[in-house]
Amino acid sequence: MTIKEKGYTHWDGELKEGKFPWRPITRWGIKLTFKKKFFKLLFFTSLVPALVYLAGIYISERLEDFRFMIKGPTEFIQTNPAYFKSYFTNDFLLFMMVMILVFCGAGLISDDLKYNSLQLYFSRPLKKKDYFFGKAFVIVFFLFIVTLIPGLVLFFMKLIFSGSFKFFVSYPWLLVSIIGYSFLVTGFFSFYALFLSSLSKNRRYVAIFIFGLYIFSDILFGIFYGIFRNQYFALLSIKSNLQQVGSFIFNQKTPYDFSWFYSFLILFFICVLAGLVLKKKVRGVEIVK
Amino acid sequence: MILIIETQNLSKWYGNVLGLNDVTIQIESGITGILGPNGAGKSTFLKLITGQIKPNIGKVKIKGEKIRNNYSLFSIIGFCPEQDSFYEEMTGWEFITSLLKLHHFSSTEIKARAQDALEIVELINDKDRVIKSYSRGMRQRLKFAQAIAHEPEIIILDEPLNGMDPLGRRKIIKLIKSYEREGRTIIVSSHVLPEIEAMTKRIILIHQGKIFAQGNIHYIRDLIDTHPHIISIKCSNPRELASKFIHEEYVLKVHFSSTRDSLLIETNNRDKFFSLLPSLFLESNIEVKEITSPDDNLQAVFDYLVGK
Repeated sequence: MTIKEKGYTHWDGELKEGKFPWRPITRWGIKLTFKKKFFKLLFFTSLVPALVYLAGIYISERLEDFRFMIKGPTEFIQTNPAYFKSYFTNDFLLFMMVMILVFCGAGLISDDLKYNSLQLYFSRPLKKKDYFFGKAFVIVFFLFIVTLIPGLVLFFMKLIFSGSFKFFVSYPWLLVSIIGYSFLVTGFFSFYALFLSSLSKNRRYVAIFIFGLYIFSDILFGIFYGIFRNQYFALLSIKSNLQQVGSFIFNQKTPYDFSWFYSFLILFFICVLAGLVLKKKVRGVEIVK
Repeated sequence: MILIIETQNLSKWYGNVLGLNDVTIQIESGITGILGPNGAGKSTFLKLITGQIKPNIGKVKIKGEKIRNNYSLFSIIGFCPEQDSFYEEMTGWEFITSLLKLHHFSSTEIKARAQDALEIVELINDKDRVIKSYSRGMRQRLKFAQAIAHEPEIIILDEPLNGMDPLGRRKIIKLIKSYEREGRTIIVSSHVLPEIEAMTKRIILIHQGKIFAQGNIHYIRDLIDTHPHIISIKCSNPRELASKFIHEEYVLKVHFSSTRDSLLIETNNRDKFFSLLPSLFLESNIEVKEITSPDDNLQAVFDYLVGK
């Protein structure tokens, strides 16, 4: 019997190639993350800085109305690139981003390794890069909601509250900075979380790695800086490197006395290393008994 | 029959461990059974022909096209892995539909196909239960459902009957046979000879990463029958029993155990030996405690073939 004489009927609809083959993986990842206990609370908490900064923009545009509330200088609520930089690089936001990674990123690959799901993915018309995109976009989705989207909202609300384009004309590059930094921090954290997620089949261990490595790198910097008083040790800290590059992107004075480019190189190196490890770890496997 | 799968000098090793060694084989449409003990290289072979792992040496072609990174071919292949591959917190329905989404079907089509697949494996009433509450047999059926849900032309099943109850096995075997009648190509791996026998006459024997025999099951059986069989009998008086059949031509060797309550008989005609045995027991009034055939399994078949 040849295939042409087959007795079964194949679906005669149009099988589209699909513009975004990774989309089902992303959608499922987002859905699973929202099912996790306390995630919604954590996620909305991470939006608190955005609300505070939005209120700050409103107050800065209506200073006279709020004069009765403000004692002392009012410079700190002036909306300028430094204000945006402080939103994007503040410790609390970065910490909340890491917490989001703990919830949404830890299980992304480790669960597939644990449940042997890779063989089901890769026996289907799904390229390896689509698999990675699918997983990475889960992180991108959540991190953009706390970086890119609030950044753009803050920018446009500033224009709306001020009632003119003066701010835009004064800082035309700020929009690019907001987008650029959002992509940088989200891209870095995506690599960071996926890389760690591919190292273990246990989601809990990965969560500890994600959180621990971020905190540990900062503690290490603190210890070495305390002993040697050398700012170059900030290169050991993930947070400090992001803040250093962030300051450059927002055209502000960098917090440490060395070139932002060193920090950028460190972050880039981590991403390359993560990419190489991911390529090696995520593949069809066979256990030889 | 038309040629569906073709491999040429296929070899795969993992460090120093040989997974598959120089396998050149042609598989036609219909059911083909891959037989081999655990660790023989069956799963490696199946993963190589589904393009999931890259061979160190050799080529795999499906319908004349190379499989590796040929994603259009993946749409016509259904793969049921040996190990469980579930997100335990998913429901059966979510599992099937999420995998169908990767085939780029429309949402209406996905629902229809998931419904059909779950009905075929009789899981439709349990579709909304989370997978972690499924029994072993249900999990097997769910794995099977995901392999057939997209109506593939080539179905590759790695130990699909593991952990299934007899009724479930019979249903799946019947289903696999119906796919053969529809003109599909089905490759089933197992380490249990009767399971494969119930599905097909065409088998491939794999051992230590090599193809030991390929062809009709009767040919393989004949091959085995040219080798002596060992039968162990535990009874009250083994020496007396031995004296009864020692003069038979087809009895080649007799060994007595050190515990003195059993004997091992080597024969080159098992059927004749077993037909004589009941009358011997009755005549000599020997109480029989146990009759076993220590080499009546696939491992023994391989042992014969490799000359152990």
